[in-house]
Amino acid sequence: MSDNLYAYGVTPDDGSLAVDATGVDGSEDVSTVSHGPLAAVVSPVDDMDPERTDENVRAHDDVLRAVMVDAERTVVPMQFGMVFKGKRPLKNILRTGRPTFSRSLNDIDGTYELGVKLVAEEGATVDREAVAERVDERLAPVSVGTVENDLFSDRLVVNSSYLVERDEREAFDEAIDDIDEAYDALTLQYTGPWAPYNFVDVAIEAK
Amino acid sequence: MTFVVDDLLVRPFLGLLNVIHSMAIEGMYDTDALRDELKENRLLFELGELTETEYEERRADIENRLEVAEQAREQLSGRIEVRQ
Repeated sequence: MSDNLYAYGVTPDDGSLAVDATGVDGSEDVSTVSHGPLAAVVSPVDDMDPERTDENVRAHDDVLRAVMVDAERTVVPMQFGMVFKGKRPLKNILRTGRPTFSRSLNDIDGTYELGVKLVAEEGATVDREAVAERVDERLAPVSVGTVENDLFSDRLVVNSSYLVERDEREAFDEAIDDIDEAYDALTLQYTGPWAPYNFVDVAIEAK
Repeated sequence: MTFVVDDLLVRPFLGLLNVIHSMAIEGMYDTDALRDELKENRLLFELGELTETEYEERRADIENRLEVAEQAREQLSGRIEVRQ
């Protein structure tokens, strides 16, 4: 058994954290590594470079979601694929990155990210700008941040991420229902909660 | 008989050929477009417009093309300027 640790994200170290989710490469052993006021959420892996399968990507997000929703912790997510050779290099990151992690955790305290996509039928004519504007007008008051993501398909009319306070979730859901009713011709895809990938700027070079 | 070609006459054509070649690489090995195709494929599956089998088949096809494109870009990038 190797000492390699796959890291999902960083949370405030508020004592023991029980995560009921299966981790990357099927690990049932999600735990934390603490240093100072911070804790990294980890699970053991054999491979230094775990395969980016749909299943593994989902496991990465499931663990983060369990931390945010079940354990009600704020979490700064790491990108998929961060593996550390044991606890020591990970603690080093927590030590040297402490100001950055603490600032990010403060910025996103009590929030998570929700994804909103509106998809047009193939070849349909849609006033994209008007739709995008009205959607944002409805969602901005019930959120604390927005990022417009890449429109990677011609059929995408809206592809945005919203930073929403946990306590505002119901109001946000209602706004989403309104939008769904307002646009019969468009398909709404509402996803999350996600860890706030689009609202933290933490880059870690692991080697 | 020796035929001397004026370098000035040849150069514009070489330039044009290079441009055409670069454009062909852009089109054939457009990794960004292929990555977008992967995302669109995923989206259409999530929306229920594609069955899991269709999704997996398309994904395998796009991933193969992406791999070829990435290798081609890597091999050609030293010799011909490829815009990212």
